[in-house]
Amino acid sequence: MSQAVVTAGPSEVDALPVGPHAHDTNTGVSNPKLAIWLFISSEALFFGAFISTYFLYRGRDAQYLKGPTPDKLLNIPFTSVTSFVLLMSSLTMVLALAAIQRGDHRRFRIWLLATALFGATFIGGQVFEFTEFYREGLHLSTNMFGTTFFVLTGLHGAHVTMGIIWLLLLWSRSMQGRLPTEKSEAVEIAGLYWHFVDVVWIFIFTAVYLIPTH
Amino acid sequence: MTDGTDLVTVSADEPPHAGLLSELETLGEQQPMAAEGHKHPSPRQYVLIGVILVILTGVEVATSYLEGHVNSNLLIVALALMASVKFFLVAAWYMHMRMDNHFFRRVFVAGIMLATVVYGIVFFFFSSTVLKS
Repeated sequence: MSQAVVTAGPSEVDALPVGPHAHDTNTGVSNPKLAIWLFISSEALFFGAFISTYFLYRGRDAQYLKGPTPDKLLNIPFTSVTSFVLLMSSLTMVLALAAIQRGDHRRFRIWLLATALFGATFIGGQVFEFTEFYREGLHLSTNMFGTTFFVLTGLHGAHVTMGIIWLLLLWSRSMQGRLPTEKSEAVEIAGLYWHFVDVVWIFIFTAVYLIPTH
Repeated sequence: MTDGTDLVTVSADEPPHAGLLSELETLGEQQPMAAEGHKHPSPRQYVLIGVILVILTGVEVATSYLEGHVNSNLLIVALALMASVKFFLVAAWYMHMRMDNHFFRRVFVAGIMLATVVYGIVFFFFSSTVLKS
């Protein structure tokens, strides 16, 4: 960690955040962590827009009546299993973080790979679901359900896919010995993103699959 | 300074996964230290939260099958409540909002509050069909 060059007077220096946990930044907190929290905060607005749109068009539009409807298509048991898999990926992610923070790099890589595998399983389930819906006649432009459903869940799937790539990059860095314990914050940041994607799915699962359509 | 390689020595007689299964027992009370110095929950606590999340998901799914048997507004409120509890558990424990710097919590809560207000206004003007009786 680089040393901050302090040019302020003694009284101003006293006002700077100091102590063993302080970062040498203007805010006293880690800049990368602040950045990911700001990004996550903006993502709350991003996904909020699509979840709201899904609810607003839910059963309202005449277009909604054309083609297959949610009650005929949605497979709750199947999606419950994929939701369970995504929840478990959050658990393996925190276990990976705990492992690297205590210097256990072998277990860190195992948990990280497990997280990526769970994520890939979730995406596989989503691809299967999309394919089934398409075969049943639900396309992006079939009705308002098709439009809002594919856009909302598809964007979430894209986020999960980005998360998997991120995790695999971290795994690759660790394999090359370029991710020491002192850089565990990189894993924490990826974990924050991953957990947020999981949190978003908690609401999408409830909104799209569980809340009654009638 | 480590070079990022394994710090755990594994016996040649021991299968590679032998220690993994007993990890939660041996490290149950060991709380890893975050980069900023605060203590994170132990693996055992993480697993406990995971179990609660799975149970809640099961209850959620079971509740959704009550459609037609109970008031739909009650069903929606119950499902929304359970989703909120799951959100809180993941945010507080897995995202470390309980023990991390409070500034991050404020940033996150600000985004959630802004989203709630903005889309609350949208719902107010466009009306919701979800909470119809």
